[in-house]
Amino acid sequence: MRLPSFTAVLALSAAALTAAEAPIAIRGARIVTVSGPTIEKGTLVLAGGKIAAIGADVAVPAGATVIDGSGKTVYPGLIDGLTTLGLVEIGSVAGSVDTAEAGDVNPHAKAWVAVHAHSELLPVARANGLTAALAAPQGGLVSGQSALIRLAGSTPDALTVKTPVAMHVTYPTGRAPFDFSRMFDEPELKTFEERQKERKKNQEKDLRRLANLLAEAKAYGAALEAAKSGKGAPPKPDLPMEALAPVARGELAVIMRADDEADIRGAVKFAADQGLKLVIAGGLEAWRCTDVLKEKAVPVLINVDRLPRKESDPYDAAYANPGLLFKAGVRFAIVSDDASQSRNLPYEAAMASAYGLPAEIALRSITLSPAEIFGVANRIGSLEVGKDANLVIATGDILDHRTQVTGVFIDGVAQSIETRHTRLYQQFKDRP
Amino acid sequence: MRRLAYVASAVLLLPSLTLAAEASKNVTAIVGGTLITVGPQGTIEKGTLLIKDGKVAAVGKELTVPAGATVIDAGGRYVMPGIVDAHSHTAIEDNVNECTDSVTAEVRIADVIDHRDINIYRELAGGVTTINVLHGSCNAIGGQNAVLKLRHGKEPEELVFKEAPRGIKFALGENPKRSNFQVPGQKRYPGSRMGVEVVIREAFLEAKAYRREWEEYQKKLAAAGAKGEKPVAPRKDLRLEELRDLLDGKVLVHAHCYRSDEILMLIRVAEEMGFKIRTFQHVLEGYKVASEIARHGAGGSTFSDWWAYKMEAYDAIPYNAAIMASKGIRVSLNSDSDELARRLYWEAAKTVKYGGVSEAEALKMVTLNPAWQLGIDKRVGSLEVGKDADLAIFSAHPFAADTRVEMTLIEGTVYFDRAKDLASREKPVEKHDQKDAPKGGAQ
Repeated sequence: MRLPSFTAVLALSAAALTAAEAPIAIRGARIVTVSGPTIEKGTLVLAGGKIAAIGADVAVPAGATVIDGSGKTVYPGLIDGLTTLGLVEIGSVAGSVDTAEAGDVNPHAKAWVAVHAHSELLPVARANGLTAALAAPQGGLVSGQSALIRLAGSTPDALTVKTPVAMHVTYPTGRAPFDFSRMFDEPELKTFEERQKERKKNQEKDLRRLANLLAEAKAYGAALEAAKSGKGAPPKPDLPMEALAPVARGELAVIMRADDEADIRGAVKFAADQGLKLVIAGGLEAWRCTDVLKEKAVPVLINVDRLPRKESDPYDAAYANPGLLFKAGVRFAIVSDDASQSRNLPYEAAMASAYGLPAEIALRSITLSPAEIFGVANRIGSLEVGKDANLVIATGDILDHRTQVTGVFIDGVAQSIETRHTRLYQQFKDRP
Repeated sequence: MRRLAYVASAVLLLPSLTLAAEASKNVTAIVGGTLITVGPQGTIEKGTLLIKDGKVAAVGKELTVPAGATVIDAGGRYVMPGIVDAHSHTAIEDNVNECTDSVTAEVRIADVIDHRDINIYRELAGGVTTINVLHGSCNAIGGQNAVLKLRHGKEPEELVFKEAPRGIKFALGENPKRSNFQVPGQKRYPGSRMGVEVVIREAFLEAKAYRREWEEYQKKLAAAGAKGEKPVAPRKDLRLEELRDLLDGKVLVHAHCYRSDEILMLIRVAEEMGFKIRTFQHVLEGYKVASEIARHGAGGSTFSDWWAYKMEAYDAIPYNAAIMASKGIRVSLNSDSDELARRLYWEAAKTVKYGGVSEAEALKMVTLNPAWQLGIDKRVGSLEVGKDADLAIFSAHPFAADTRVEMTLIEGTVYFDRAKDLASREKPVEKHDQKDAPKGGAQ
């Protein structure tokens, strides 16, 4: 059995908790720093929740708890740049789903208000090396604001790394949203041209609506600022406008979901016209828009394990997407765009590497790249002195399905890698 | 326009496919690769595999390649049996569920095969050669399956794996009771797991009565022959015909299920009625009742690690395959998805991680085990002399982090060749981009 010993991990975790201030040294491990060269055999010292030292010839400080890293590889904690972790427990059980608000425009919905610190999904993701994730609302035109969370902590505040990270918007496609209750209606008889015309009309209407909202928010923000400096009365409280104002000013990033080439190009143009700080999410056809993505420096959050958009597309279009973006110089992160499947993030990166993305960039796209896109690269995403001590100890290449994660540290504290799944495994594996 | 370009390139590919088909009548030799046979010969490094008339003619280390043979150089590559997906809904477009009744044993997937489904090709590109196309999980007793070989470009009849035994889909739990898909204004029995049991029990009681009725008629007919009388035949019922054949052991039952209680329920009903369950599909709580499943003799076809998407999947664990296998159940990993089907080799690798399944056993879970579950293991699932030459050639070990399918063959004919695929992409994308992009486009 290759399963890591839970008791060992628990013991380690307990030791780390009781001696939180004592430094920890991981000795003799292969250290993949991501930001710099890989150290084939080195030592990594964690102290005060930060990385205190790292290198081939680093001395173990007196009183440090020593972890034997020989034969192991240490990576920065993985970051899943788009999830609904903490916002959904069981997909089909409405009571456990907090991903979307009623209505179409919810800029004032904040993921960090509803992130469930005791979700069973968080330890499952963590046990495969994830230490941080973007928890993002979904649905409607303006879904709300996302939070970058660490996968450890017992309150929403304790989970929070950065809030807000971005405003989440679905780029309007003009298509009616999927409605199960209408699935069985008689289809309306319309020609292709009529449908296209209608779609375009709806899309333009939604874009005008979005532009109007932003204009209104800008004015609201200006009035608010003016009142603060004593010029005029403050505007009536308006939470949606207050939330949108920093987006309209181009201060808070907007993560727009768009997959089609035309929609991605449309989003880039809209953002440029409006002066928004844009990130594309989804980006299934981003490889067809590298020119504008590069020109406008728009990063993309890509989910790799998808079918191509069109029948005529190359069969590997989604797999090759990150490799093509890399070649063209477009910034991107690989994301799961899921919650329960978040643990498979390294394998999405692996698929990208099988189809053209260099392996070290694949690893970067689930560590340092998302940290850069979210403006937290000074704290997480790579193994560097002074950064948060978020790291993973693995038995080999973390992109390989056969590799076991044997240790996870968040802010220098060893985390349990026990999960709902390992508990059920222990409970039933020997049942006669 | 791009669609036209695609059709054009497909037409261009046709002559080469025809040539390959003719060549396979003679001999094809795959040389220099690591042969993962998934059979008694184990793994052979720098091996040779000879194909004659679509069958594996020889597998070994130092084989002589006959003069005039078509040679495929697999140097540095890995050759494994074509992947068998025991749970697919590919190539039937929207014809997955006949949802209007709780028992629809009369409907046949084979009647609705869409041979133009592009996912056939996409799955070939993931090393898949055989799929079990199942009816949906809308009803306690659903429709009849169709086992297909992914002979992309051929007519529907030519896709069907003719020698595969008949099979039928059952479904238990949330889907047949429609808990997550309530159609407005439509309430259908069953609405609970209690009702699912009743539906299945009643259906088989009816089928037994139907069988008796026909047996009595046959007796009367035999007796009447002498007297010159003409007894009236019972009314033919296509639904009950299928269930009667199932009771007679002619139809393999593939039962969609999640929770352990419903698994035990079906075993009870089956044993009482006198039929066998060939596979439990999904069977996400199979690990809780693995011994009972093993005793019944059913296989388990599961997801590697899907969980939490609905209530009955909340106790799903990635160790399911490992635990079931350890109790002697023949386990396969399926896709139930056109997308996941393309990377089943990695789904197998996950069982090495979760529960320590050996790599050899893990590979069986996407080849020989699903072949057994579909009753076609004498034909496919391993690289053995006399079996169909269905195989996939990978750029690296199928479990490696950067592996990729380079070529897929069915009965000796190349149906997917990445090099040819890349060459056939005659830049329709650039043309498209020139229209919109200011500076000549991207890729």
